[in-house]
Amino acid sequence: MTAKILTFSSHGDTTLLEYDPATADMDEVNRVIAEYEAKTGAQPFDMATGERIEKITNEEREVLMVHPIAGG
Amino acid sequence: MFPGVLSLIPFLTQTRWRFVFTDMGWRWLVGEIDVPRPRQNGLLGQCLHILDPAGSALVAGEVENRVDGAEPIGQEYRTQNYLRRIVALTGATQMGNAYDLTVGKTRFHVRYRYVRRLRDLTDPQGAYEETCFYPAKKEMPKCEQIATALLQLRNNPALFDRWAAQSGAFKADGQAFRPRALIHFR
Repeated sequence: MTAKILTFSSHGDTTLLEYDPATADMDEVNRVIAEYEAKTGAQPFDMATGERIEKITNEEREVLMVHPIAGG
Repeated sequence: MFPGVLSLIPFLTQTRWRFVFTDMGWRWLVGEIDVPRPRQNGLLGQCLHILDPAGSALVAGEVENRVDGAEPIGQEYRTQNYLRRIVALTGATQMGNAYDLTVGKTRFHVRYRYVRRLRDLTDPQGAYEETCFYPAKKEMPKCEQIATALLQLRNNPALFDRWAAQSGAFKADGQAFRPRALIHFR
């Protein structure tokens, strides 16, 4: 069983990270996500519930990084 | 005998030209036959080849027509599929090319780059407010822009006011997002 972190991009969905939640170092996963958020502003949402999540655990199987929106 | 030879000259000339044109015709015909060549996969094909771990190269045209029972994985199909999933997750309903999303007493009507809000569904005098939105990551497909707005509004309905204020981009949690400044070294 693998878990993946993906985002929407110019060519549809793009997988940023794929890992085995049973063995992966979740601190490392969260560090990568924090770096991605700092760079792009995208925040993680659990694709099983549609809820924003503060920290990724080994429970989530599919996490979507949702990019910021501006008004105009 | 000499007039007889003269009468043969037009006949021989015509026969010779027929051979010349016939020969050219064959060459043209050969030119029109498409000689089998190795398939030019382009960039997409090359990428898929690199990504395929089993070494059985997938090429662009074959992605849509896999015979192993897998669903088609074209970009448009996938973006629509994500939108459908997010519509279901957020409890939104499709209304033509727009989506109605109810969060508490508030109803949002979301379509590509526009969102309307009816603040209180129970208020018979209530009027719709409207604002535009666009993702900070500008080159996102339409379906995914709508999906992004639905997810964010469902989690944080107050984002509508931020967008309406037109004061930059906001993260899903409502924090302002300022891309890191570029530092130029001389």
